[in-house]
Amino acid sequence: MMNSLLSTRSAVLAAAWLISVVASTAQTSANTKQSDSGVKQNPAAAKSYPPDLVQQGSALFRKDCSFCHGRDAGGGETGPDLTRSKLVTADVSGDKIGEVVRDGRPDKGMPPFDRSDQQIASLVAFIHTQQDNALASAGGRSGSGGRKGVDASDLQTGNAEAGKQYFEGAGGCAACHSPSGDLAGLASRYSGLELEEQMLYPRHAKSKVSITLASGQTIGGTLAYLDEFTIGLIDSTGTYRSWRTRDVRYKVDPALNAHVELFPKYTDADIHNLMAYLQTLR
Amino acid sequence: MNFARHAFLIAVSTFLAFGSAKAVLAQGADEKMLLHPPADSWPGYHGDYSGRRHSSLNQVTPQNVGNLALAWAFQTNQTAPIKSSPLLVDGILYITVPDNIWAVDARSGHQIWHYNRPTSQGEHIGNRGVAMYKGYLFFSSPDAHLVSLNAKDGTVRWKVQVADVTIGYWTSMAPLIVENHVLVGVSGDFDNLSGYIRAIDPETGATQWQWNSTPPTGTPNQTTGGMTWMTGTYDPDLNLVYWGTGNPTPVLNGSTRPGDDPHTCSIVALNPDTGKLAWAFQVSPHDTHDWDAVETPVLVDGDFHGEPKKMLMQSSRNGYFFVLDRTNGKSLLTVPYGPVDWALGIDSQGRPIPNPAKEPAPDGRLIAPDEGGMTNYRSPSFDTKNGLFIVDAHPSWSLYFAKPADGVYGWAGADYGVWGKGVIEAIDYQTGKIRWSHELGPESGAGVLTTDSGVTFTGDGMGNFLALDSSDGKTLWHAGSGSYIVSSPITYELGGRQYLLTSSGGVLFAWALPQAH
Repeated sequence: MMNSLLSTRSAVLAAAWLISVVASTAQTSANTKQSDSGVKQNPAAAKSYPPDLVQQGSALFRKDCSFCHGRDAGGGETGPDLTRSKLVTADVSGDKIGEVVRDGRPDKGMPPFDRSDQQIASLVAFIHTQQDNALASAGGRSGSGGRKGVDASDLQTGNAEAGKQYFEGAGGCAACHSPSGDLAGLASRYSGLELEEQMLYPRHAKSKVSITLASGQTIGGTLAYLDEFTIGLIDSTGTYRSWRTRDVRYKVDPALNAHVELFPKYTDADIHNLMAYLQTLR
Repeated sequence: MNFARHAFLIAVSTFLAFGSAKAVLAQGADEKMLLHPPADSWPGYHGDYSGRRHSSLNQVTPQNVGNLALAWAFQTNQTAPIKSSPLLVDGILYITVPDNIWAVDARSGHQIWHYNRPTSQGEHIGNRGVAMYKGYLFFSSPDAHLVSLNAKDGTVRWKVQVADVTIGYWTSMAPLIVENHVLVGVSGDFDNLSGYIRAIDPETGATQWQWNSTPPTGTPNQTTGGMTWMTGTYDPDLNLVYWGTGNPTPVLNGSTRPGDDPHTCSIVALNPDTGKLAWAFQVSPHDTHDWDAVETPVLVDGDFHGEPKKMLMQSSRNGYFFVLDRTNGKSLLTVPYGPVDWALGIDSQGRPIPNPAKEPAPDGRLIAPDEGGMTNYRSPSFDTKNGLFIVDAHPSWSLYFAKPADGVYGWAGADYGVWGKGVIEAIDYQTGKIRWSHELGPESGAGVLTTDSGVTFTGDGMGNFLALDSSDGKTLWHAGSGSYIVSSPITYELGGRQYLLTSSGGVLFAWALPQAH
């Protein structure tokens, strides 16, 4: 029971994240282009903000955000690089950033912040300005002390043929995946660091769960919540339902366990080779 | 009959009068209280000086803990989560978030006073709580000052600068009182700055001494860093204070700081009167993964392979569990307590040998554990009864990157967590073997408290408070808290009733066995 608990939790949390990213990307896809760093750039977003507002945002960001996201918004301890954030790119006048600031991302450790509209406007001005600056001078952010980015070009040290052999052989990937099936066109959907992260652990994946009630009735669905005491799913009608774990038997699709079991087996070369191979699946 | 009842009431009144007289005479946290905390107190960050976070209280047991019920809750009404460990002296609890202190009645949970002084400088990532000396409180502010307040009403006595916030320091730790010294540490990571511990006079705020963990910024081929993020422990018999130091800077790129980078990622023993270093043990020589060694240095006296030893134990962020002889800093045991893939082995001094091939690289390196580490600031507990070191662990994997364009200042690289989970591990301190483990789902920020009665209190990664059987890790009780837990529990006894104090989000919860009204 405990093993099934662990293998699914991240997936559930990630699924919620995926929904928000897909939604935000969909709204802006008509007017975007792909930049060299893999960040979709919206020309309309590259507007300039009043220097005073940016300065206010910088001070507030330093106080409340910089530990996790870096002073320059380029990433810090545990928090993502906002200059490469698709959500930031998709944000128009704070419509998405404001929501994240006010509600937090509790599942990822980000608390909500109770800030005024004016304060959020200043944060939005600062974050967009930092993203615009980063895109304008890729790799040129020195002296800020913040975490630095990873470009797709950094990840090209592998050998695709060796990666294919690993995929079909030692890695055991072919047991679940097929280059002409579920992975067809993978490299068109993901690139760079995001592709490598997905390869190592597909946090976007949703887990299927099957629950058997005391009556013997079986209910299937998508896992929506699981802890030691409660299990919840979204059933085929889109309805959330939950039970005490002690009252039912449940089985979570264990497919993601295979990714976790690979971590101690990989060499760094295996990862780079696999990455090279997956990038051929366009 | 009437007479007998009358006599009984007189006896009760007399008892109560003595009880309240004692309370009236209470003068805050004196040296005797700090050395031997009474059951109705929690006068320091760790409770006592040992860092064991183990209580002798035994009203709540494995048999009755299932009946535990809410006694009261206190709400800060702020979005900042409570990351502090509450302090309890004279029936009054003190809890904090950055820029804020609340004094709360430990019996009822009602607010007595609230200190709120917003500061605009310094990272506001959290505050670990106040320290108390006599009737004075000491509080670290984000703008790197130490604030002293009168415990009775929260009025400020003085405020002194501990570090310069404008060059990148801030403060978040709970000070440690040892005799007439207020020991404080500093925080920082985005700048190449030296860490230090400073002793401050509790009466005047004057600096008594300062110990620097690394040479001054700009010293050629030398590291900076070694921040002193967390509260140390103290052995009054050896008259040594034990403190963990943080990672070197630049963080992910070690090229400008060849060698071991002393005294970063180390456990150091200092004389509290002089600040003189007695010994240092480095848990991560030449760290390039941000693995501070600031986790609680837990002090235990007991048998080690048949010999009585004064030990120091640390479940370190780098994934290794260390047992040292705390009289001299010599290694007794070094063993991983989860997946680690960054070391070539253990050297003759008991230190992991970093693998150069696992330093951050332009095309990435797969590293276990992740940057948050196998554990972090949350407290572990040493269960003296079962001889178990119990820690909230985080087995995890991540990718680390660094390239020349990232420079040699501050972070100087990037890292990305790939996968991780939370698990409570009960480690046999003589062997490092994991006696039992309890899966928590995703990583939990909850610390651990154990009691003599055999109960382990902690929390899972979804916000459930948990009581586990200390002998086997089985769940005995739980309560959903409605938010994420990022603090360590404490316990105390007041009026014959044992309370367990936990927090999640901005709410402090007091739990006790049900009582007739």
